[in-house]
Amino acid sequence: MMAKILVADDSATILLLLRTRLEMEGHEVETASDGQGVLDALSAGGPQPDLLLLDAMMPRISGIDALRQLRAAGVETPALIVSAHQDKMDAGPPDDLGIGGYVSKPVDFEALFARIAELTSG
Amino acid sequence: MRFRASRASRQAYSRRRFRLSQSLANRLTIGFAIGFAVLTGLAVIGVARFIQQRQDFEDATARSYQSEIQARNRLSQGRNPVAARATILAQQRRRQSLRDEISNQTRDTALLVGAGLIAGLTGAALLFNGLISSMRRPLEDLVAASERLAAGDLDARVEVGGLSETASLGRAFNEMAEELQRRTGERDQLDRMKDEFVLTASHELRSPLTSVQGFAELLMMERDNLTPEQAETVEVILDNSRHLVRLLNDLLDLARSDAGQLRIEPEPTEVETLVEDAERAMRSQIEARGQTLSEKIEPGLPTVSADRDRIRQIMVNLLTNANEYCPEGAAIRVKATRVDAEVEIAVIDDGPGIPRDQLAHIFERFSRGDAGLTQRVGGTGLGLAISKSLVELHGGTIAAQSTPGEGSTFGFRLPAIGSPNPTEADRSGAQA
Repeated sequence: MMAKILVADDSATILLLLRTRLEMEGHEVETASDGQGVLDALSAGGPQPDLLLLDAMMPRISGIDALRQLRAAGVETPALIVSAHQDKMDAGPPDDLGIGGYVSKPVDFEALFARIAELTSG
Repeated sequence: MRFRASRASRQAYSRRRFRLSQSLANRLTIGFAIGFAVLTGLAVIGVARFIQQRQDFEDATARSYQSEIQARNRLSQGRNPVAARATILAQQRRRQSLRDEISNQTRDTALLVGAGLIAGLTGAALLFNGLISSMRRPLEDLVAASERLAAGDLDARVEVGGLSETASLGRAFNEMAEELQRRTGERDQLDRMKDEFVLTASHELRSPLTSVQGFAELLMMERDNLTPEQAETVEVILDNSRHLVRLLNDLLDLARSDAGQLRIEPEPTEVETLVEDAERAMRSQIEARGQTLSEKIEPGLPTVSADRDRIRQIMVNLLTNANEYCPEGAAIRVKATRVDAEVEIAVIDDGPGIPRDQLAHIFERFSRGDAGLTQRVGGTGLGLAISKSLVELHGGTIAAQSTPGEGSTFGFRLPAIGSPNPTEADRSGAQA
């Protein structure tokens, strides 16, 4: 099932990789290079994304901080956090931010696609 | 400069030695000399007095005998017999009194020398007792401080004082403790820096690696449009990036283990689930080398306390070792059995085995099999060290057995937490 996904990462090559693989799966992809870009994209109006795919560590506003601001503003869009850390215990769930899952680098795309399908099917 | 420094330290050392010989040794020497002089004096005086008294006694006795003989001569000649008889009697009495006198004098001399000896020995005993007790307190303090230091209390110090030996011992101890504390602080700081470095490096390397692996996978998806040489090149890139990821993960696990931050989330788990997880992950890789994988799970095993992901990591590691170190066609078996209150899961192969000297170090970091095989085998040399840490975090143990030429067995035990089978539960209850 096709979904509209907002992907944020400060690395242009990672963004290109994620965009390419997600588009090959048939998803519609919008990108942002940091947390501010995520906030701008969501406040710009127009069609809202079905899913956020945010890098945990980005300069200025991190993915976690951006998500915290969005949740405070009442945005309930499902979100996946991409982390360079090996597993969720390092990133540590900061609060209950309604995080739908953690994606570790290097990305296991089959598992990522499966999780996206779960989060956007409802 | 170095020579001068070492000469200065030699001089300081010999000064210290000189001071050492001056204090305790000199006190002992002086004590011995005084004691020896007093005792010798007493003995000389006693012996001289004894000889003098004996001499006097013998002289007086001889004179007495002479007088008696003269009186007996006069008696035999009939001259003044009454006076002669009186003299003989008087001389006999005199000798008796002389004998009594010498025996009294001998006893007095012996008493004098004996009393002197006792006084001298008592004095010596008091001197030694004084020396010993002046050393005992500082030594006891040193022992107590050493024990505290050994137990990890790096603030342990002693009060410097008493004899010069115990004072310099105390100073040396305090300097040592100071140095130990300084170095331990430095080492702890270095350890923290190392852990931080590994975490940061692992983090920073992971992003570029994600790109390398991700784009190589993209290329492989276009395999049909690549020449065979290009496809093979991309395979090499993929293999190596996967190897780098494994290495990074292992290094991260080790750094966490060292920092005491390696954590597990154990849950009651069926042994079958753990074995199936591992076999699912490894079966195709094992069969690709023409090897067989079979399992034998004892019926009615209790559930175990296990972090499923971590146990899979351990078993994949053991199975990967068996897969890579055994030749094609080898038989690899997974066997799960109950051992007392634990469940043992073993990976058994009929491969070349491990020489005894390597087996002893098999769970140490970067310990790997023989060099020829290692060239071909792609492991990181960290897998077994990490597996051991992980098993121990579960409250279990891991062990390796091997007979060269016949095969190897790597088995780990996990604590059982329950039993699906009531008779099993009864048996474990009866054992407990």
